[in-house]
Amino acid sequence: MTSDSGPALARDATVEVRGVSKWFGQKVAVSDVTCSFGPGITGLLGPNGAGKTTLLRMVTGLLVPSDGEVTVLGHDPRRTPQVYREMALVPEDDAVYPALSGRRFVEYAAVLAGRPASGAEAAIAEVGLEGAQHRPIAGYSKGMRQRVKVAAALVARPRVLVLDEPLNGTDPVQRAGLIATFRGMAAEGHTVIVSSHVLAEVERMADRVLAIVDGKLAAAGDVAAIRGEMRDIPYRVRIGTDGMRELAAALMGLDGVISTSIGDKGLLVETADLPAVGTALPRIARDLGVRVTQFEPEDESLESVFRYLVRRR
Amino acid sequence: MTAFTAMVRVSVGQLLGRKWVILVGLVGLLPTIVMFALTRTQGSARLATSFQEGPMMTLFLIVLPLTSILVASLALGEERREGTLPILLLRPRRREVVVAAKLLAAWLSAWLLTGASGVLAAVVLGGASGEWGMVGPVIVATGVSALAYVAVFLVVGYLTKWAVIIGAAFLFVWETGLASAVDALANVSLFRIGLTAFAAMVDGAPSTLREPLAALTPGVWGALAKVAVLSAAAVGGLSFLMGRRDLT
Repeated sequence: MTSDSGPALARDATVEVRGVSKWFGQKVAVSDVTCSFGPGITGLLGPNGAGKTTLLRMVTGLLVPSDGEVTVLGHDPRRTPQVYREMALVPEDDAVYPALSGRRFVEYAAVLAGRPASGAEAAIAEVGLEGAQHRPIAGYSKGMRQRVKVAAALVARPRVLVLDEPLNGTDPVQRAGLIATFRGMAAEGHTVIVSSHVLAEVERMADRVLAIVDGKLAAAGDVAAIRGEMRDIPYRVRIGTDGMRELAAALMGLDGVISTSIGDKGLLVETADLPAVGTALPRIARDLGVRVTQFEPEDESLESVFRYLVRRR
Repeated sequence: MTAFTAMVRVSVGQLLGRKWVILVGLVGLLPTIVMFALTRTQGSARLATSFQEGPMMTLFLIVLPLTSILVASLALGEERREGTLPILLLRPRRREVVVAAKLLAAWLSAWLLTGASGVLAAVVLGGASGEWGMVGPVIVATGVSALAYVAVFLVVGYLTKWAVIIGAAFLFVWETGLASAVDALANVSLFRIGLTAFAAMVDGAPSTLREPLAALTPGVWGALAKVAVLSAAAVGGLSFLMGRRDLT
């Protein structure tokens, strides 16, 4: 899927982002990002506030890049409205008209996209909203609203589909249905860009991942490669105990333990081998005669994982 | 149905399907209440003149500006602040089309509300005195003035969430204050545009109605030309701004 020019660049790119930055006053939201997207599903992964939404908004022409250039199918979307015949966005916001029924909303989206309103029926069926299509959106659950937004995008059958956190608020069944829909579009050769802050979600959907943190591209490549990069990350665990000093000293003797520190909320241990600490801890605690009340990995959050990747680059 | 028609239809539905329309409707009853009171206290011979002095001035100085400012401020401003603007703008058509559709929708909504307010008062006049000649001028004049306010406050509403407050300040400081005190400023007063059309269409407009016009010459075509220029400037100017600014 990636080209010879680097894992951030896609072969047969339909969306190209070249040296793009975006700042709002003093705050830099996206910093010098160069990447591209081609047919298939590309996951844009990163913690909340990393700059994913800003990047997607620049891709779709909602935001003007402060620097750099975005092209979609060879055109600047802000200057060539015809691009929107081939591109649709499912925004993260609750961007729906609550007073309209789901059916009318999707029909409206079809007409605005220059497609026949009759396509609404199939789009609604694709997201499984047939039973609720004639009810006002005001009464929809969060998951239903997500699905009606996806239907409003699908009705245009876009070559480029941009989805900003599309699985937020959906239940497992709805999630599976939506992922199948996105995979179907990708199989037909559409470019699908999906942002998420949940690694597991992206793993289920995307063939290729771009990781972004603090507005910078932190990692790029296929899902297995990103996972591989994460394997070397030192883990931090917080241990609640009534014998912090004794336990800290004993744990330092374990292979893989890099450091220990005592804080207000417990003993913080940095280790390259988390399972070894988990296995040894009950024995050490018993030997020392201390009680362990908490064992909580701290570094499971995507944010710390990506910060690590950024530091390594 | 074309995209333009669909945008106008949905937008009118959004603007008129709000709870505040009830409040606007109640304010819109003011001219009718005033007219009804006049029919109780005055003879039918003077009612046509009184209609222009009382209900019409209430309509043009209070009901029409407030209603039009409110409707216009929400037309695009609310879409922007509620995050629904991408539904309209990320589409294969020029931004001018979207802005023009919103302008038309806001104008139709404002005209419907204010026109109904004026026509109701004119019907009370007609019923009491047999004078039905005010209905047509009221419809035209409210349409002209509503378009003037909508054209200006569609832009203000897009740019700031304080548009209604700015509009109220504009109404009380500029329209009824400065533009009334300084004759030369009457030329750039929005409600007076519709008033010039109204004064040109009725016979023997009373001095109360002519005074605010100062040196302005009553005329329908002049008023229509002014609002056409304002509308074109609003559509062109706002589309230009949208092309250069972030759309969120």
